[in-house]
Order: sequence, then C-alpha cells, then structure tokens
Amino acid sequence: MTWQRNDPALYEKEKAEVEAHFPDLHFVIENDLVYVRGSFAVMFEGKVLDRYSVELQLARNHPAGLPVVRETGGRIPRHIDRHILAADGTACVMLPDERWKLWPVGSPLMKYLTGALHSFFLAQTMVEEGQDWPFGQWAHGARGIFQFYRELLKTSDLRVMTAYLDYLAAKKVKGHWPCPCRNGKKLRDCHFDQITELREKISRKDAERSLAALKAAGTSAIDMNEAKPAAAISKS
Amino acid sequence: MTADEYLNDVLASQALGDDSDEVKALQKHRAEVEKLIRDTFKDTALIIRYAGSRAKGTMNKESYDLDIISYVSSGDNTAGETLEDIYDNHKQALAKKYYVEPKGSALRLKGCDPDNLGVDFHIDVVPGRFTDETNTDAYLYQSGSDKKRLKTNLDVHLDHVRDSGLIDAIRLAKLWKVRNGLPIRTFVLELAVIKLLEDKKKKSLSAQMEHFWTELRDNSASLTVEDPANPNGNDLSKCLDDNLKSQLAAAAKRTLEQIDSSGWEAVFGKTEKQEKAARVEILRRAASVATPSRPWLPEA
Repeated sequence: MTWQRNDPALYEKEKAEVEAHFPDLHFVIENDLVYVRGSFAVMFEGKVLDRYSVELQLARNHPAGLPVVRETGGRIPRHIDRHILAADGTACVMLPDERWKLWPVGSPLMKYLTGALHSFFLAQTMVEEGQDWPFGQWAHGARGIFQFYRELLKTSDLRVMTAYLDYLAAKKVKGHWPCPCRNGKKLRDCHFDQITELREKISRKDAERSLAALKAAGTSAIDMNEAKPAAAISKS
Repeated sequence: MTADEYLNDVLASQALGDDSDEVKALQKHRAEVEKLIRDTFKDTALIIRYAGSRAKGTMNKESYDLDIISYVSSGDNTAGETLEDIYDNHKQALAKKYYVEPKGSALRLKGCDPDNLGVDFHIDVVPGRFTDETNTDAYLYQSGSDKKRLKTNLDVHLDHVRDSGLIDAIRLAKLWKVRNGLPIRTFVLELAVIKLLEDKKKKSLSAQMEHFWTELRDNSASLTVEDPANPNGNDLSKCLDDNLKSQLAAAAKRTLEQIDSSGWEAVFGKTEKQEKAARVEILRRAASVATPSRPWLPEA
C-alpha cells in the first residue's frame, strides 16, 4: 500500500502545506503514485528570482524515501555537469547519505522544497549566469561518496571508510568488534558513540549502496588531490 | 565606473554582431528579397546593396532597420520606364511574398502569411536608377511627395557617416531618439550629430553627448542640415521643422537635467552588464541564506 492510502491525513497535510506556500505546485495522483507538478519559484525576500517547471514523484514509502525530481521545461541541459541524468532527465538534488542534514526522515515535504530543492534550483540559476556552484558539488558516482565520507569521517583512508560503512550497513554492531578506525581497540572503547550516532543519521540502505559503490570503484574512487591530507580519525 | 565607461557599456549592449540572431535573420531576409527581385527582373542588371545603418556601422539592437537599395543602370528600361514604374514594379515583385507598405522612397516589408501577418521585418527596399554610367548618383522616386524625383548618392551618404569619426555619438543619439520617441528621421539626426560635433571629435564621448544636447537645448531654432549628396536639390528643412526642433530642445533639456540630478544611468538605464551584476548579487545574497546543499550524480 502506498503512503497516501496508508496515511491519508499525512497526504492532506503535505498537500495543504505545499499548495499554500507554492500556489503554482499541485498534487496529482496517477497510477497510485503521488506527483507534485507545476512551476517551482526560486524566492528571496518575497520576490521570485526564477521559475522552473518541475515534477516531483514522491516515493511509494514517502516520507522515508526521497522524491524523484525532474525539470520538465527542458531549460536545464541534460548533462552530468548540471546534475541531470541524460537518460530520463532526473535531477540529482543531493547525496542520499547526506539526507539527515537536509531533510531528516519524518520532516514535512515543505522542508525538502524550501531547503535542498530550492538550493538546487537557485544553484542552477547561478550556474546559468556563469557563476560557480554556490554550495559546491559532489563529484559524480563513487568519487562523490568518497568526498562525502572523507569530510564526515575526516579520513581519506579507503579501508577505514569502508570499515565504517560496513558497520553502518550492519543490522547490529557489537561493542567487542574491532573499531573501524583500525587502531586495534574494541569499538566500545573507541568510536562506539560516533558509530551509534551515524547509524541514526544514515540509513542502512544508503550505507549499503555507498559501500558497494566504493568497493566496486576501489582506489579509482579516490581523487588523489582530494585524498590528502589523510587526517587521523578523531573521537567525535 | 566613469561616464565614458558606462556609455561604452551601453553601446556594447546595443551591438549587433554578424553572428547575432538578429543579423542572421536579416541576412536571410536579404537573400530572399534579392532573389525575389532578381527572379522578377531577369533581364535587368541590378545593383543590390546594403544601405542604412547596416552599411554605416550605426546599428543598435534596440531599434534597427535593414535598408537595401536596388538600382538599375542609367538608360535601362527593363525594370520600368519611369522612376515611378521602377518603384511600382519593385512593389509588385515584393508583394509576391510580402505585404509592401510604401514609405517615401522606400518599400517597407511586412509579413503576409497567416503565421506572420503584419509582422514588420524592419526591411526597407529602395528602388532607383543611376543617373549615368558611373553608377554613383541615383534618382529615387518619392511617393507621397510633391517633388517626385530625388537625386541621391549612397556612397556619399555612407562615407559622410562612416568617415565622420562620430559613430559612437551617432549610435547614442539614435538610442536617445528611440527612448524618447522623437519623430526625427534617422538620416537627419545623423547629419545633426555630425554638424554639431564637427569640432568636438577629440572630446570624450560623454563630453560630445553633453555638447550635442546643450546645442539642441539652446540653439535648435537655428539648426539646419543639408544632404551631403545633394545639398541644393534635397531640401531637408521640412524634416527639421519648428515643431520638431521644439521637441528636440525639450528632450535635450530634460536629458541634461537627468544627468545633472541622477547621473547618466537615468538617461539610458542600466546596461546588460550592470543588470547582470545586480542579478548575480541578489542570487549570491539568496545563496548566502539558503540551505547549503551540494548536488550529486549517482553514475560517473
């Protein structure tokens, strides 16, 4: 059963909030999927800076899953450098592993629209104006995952990174397991709190996917310029 | 930014390069027009050339026309015996594809297909006949005028403007005319700029423009211009009558007051460069308070 039938009250709440804030966006149900379609306004200080024609296909398990976003006006080139997949025009708004920072599970759709999605289209407008990506961008594929975990874990050691991801993807972690920081200590005596906190933030599914991508890419995921310096893992 | 830097930015934003969409569209029309005329007058050795701002280098993006001359040789009657015949026959030839509106010596082309009905293509075709074998001076037919024949010389006109050393001032004056809705013929305005700035060529562009407007404000009543190709035969006084002079003086006074009170931007507005810089600044401000979110792509 899809989320809108499972929780009609949530559907009505999301719909009412979004359509009140974005009067040019409309909820539509087709083939048991919820779409949000229309003109997305990039706003600042009450003024519309730009507009994009969009379609958001909400996940069947919304709000647990991320929506699939498409810019339907054909304005943004379907090019990897613009973070749009050529095959189906899907916009890659964020790295799923980073979701807890941008749209934590359980947050209303409005938070996604006014946060990450707004920033994505604002950035697209700036790039169109010849500016750099205002918030930066992750490298494509495994290299982007590597960059993210390098910043998060403050290490560029791929073995440490994959060891962490192993623990994030595991059903359970036990205190007597060796710590992924590879200092020889048991987890409970080292980075247990950090692992526990990250397991609350990053879903097992996302960790599994990132682990698989990093393992498949191997050392090619490491951009040598990105890889240095290899800072020691702090106990945070 | 100095006044001259600003004025140069205004001119740059009004430039129409050869690879611009506007010029490409005009060139396409010109090719069609030339083919239409040549196909109609197969036995006539026509000289078809660009004239007007395209040939003079004084085109502005905001308002531009394409003037094309189509002259027959002296003594050649294949396109028509009289000047009026040549004019009318050109009109008929062009009417196969366009709605043609007589406009003095020119024929203005507009769309006549259902999908472009009445659309002004900004193209004037000027038929005429050279006065002799040198193919320099030409006679034009003047519709709607008491004097039906006008002697002119395209190269003299082109040289007069191109060699004036005042192309930038002319382009700004043309933009000023458009922005203020002044009903002065462009050719007459060009002659006025050249006359009033004849001894100011070494001055800065801003100084030239201020002098031009000061002269219009204070001395327009005595301003006269003459056709360099036909100073005695082409009386331009009707094109610069007292009513128009008053309008020019009032607009010049207003412009000088705007510069004095609000600066040059009050005259020509923000340039594309300035507008873009302002937009980028707003976008940056918006980004500074937005959620810092980095896009990603799953497949390398």
